[in-house]
Amino acid sequence: MGTLPLTEPVLLILLSLAGQPRHGYSVLKDVEQMSDGRVVLSTGTLYGALRRLLDDEWIERFEEEESSRGRQAYRLTPQGRRNLQLEVSRMKHLTRLANLRIALKEI
Amino acid sequence: MLRIYRCLLYLYPAVHREQFGDEMTAVFRDIQAETAPKGIAAHAVFCARETTGLLAGALQQRVRALDRVSVWLLFSTRRFTMRTEFRFPKSTPALMTIILAGIILAIEKAKAIQASLPATNPHIGPIQPAHFTFLPNVVLALAFFYMAGMFGWAILFAMHRSGVHRLADVSGEQK
Repeated sequence: MGTLPLTEPVLLILLSLAGQPRHGYSVLKDVEQMSDGRVVLSTGTLYGALRRLLDDEWIERFEEEESSRGRQAYRLTPQGRRNLQLEVSRMKHLTRLANLRIALKEI
Repeated sequence: MLRIYRCLLYLYPAVHREQFGDEMTAVFRDIQAETAPKGIAAHAVFCARETTGLLAGALQQRVRALDRVSVWLLFSTRRFTMRTEFRFPKSTPALMTIILAGIILAIEKAKAIQASLPATNPHIGPIQPAHFTFLPNVVLALAFFYMAGMFGWAILFAMHRSGVHRLADVSGEQK
């Protein structure tokens, strides 16, 4: 888990937490929305990924203060944010390269 | 379905279940409530997704638990994932194979030498000891270790009586 490149579900989970801290259900919904319904995570997949990210200290868990149910929420750690930025930079580079190559081929 | 879900959660390692079990059940309940009005087909898809997700997740967590006790060693393609201070270098399997091959070759060579010896050397027969000395030697060794133990215990007892062990409690500061 703690290695780049990331799988798509993990990348989407991290992107979901990049904007704001979220609890499990909110992450599921946000991932589905971000991918236009293409990636629908099951709870097993989500919590497997969350556990690995917690173990690798990319995210941290805390109890939501506003919630009456005392739900656990997740947020990115500085290390997680740094790694996410690295991954996004890598993808940007790849996209730029791919665009260049494809454009050359079309000429 | 919720009951089945809870049962399936028992496939996970206890640590994972204790940490995330309630939360997973709560999220599952939320999604189930959201899917229910969408019809049977949507509910069936949801159930299938959750069941396969749980089974795959449980398997993954079990493998992770095994990985921690280094049973995954044989299948690992990276450095062996043991505790950091006990990591083997990548070349270990190759070196161990070479050593094993060397040992097998040496054994085979020794067998060949042994087989060729009767033809060149006359048979001598079993060598018998002049006196049977095994038991007296064992008794002597036991007596020696007993005496050494007694001597060590006597030293420790004398040190304890002298109060030297209390020196460990003395700190540099004066009270």
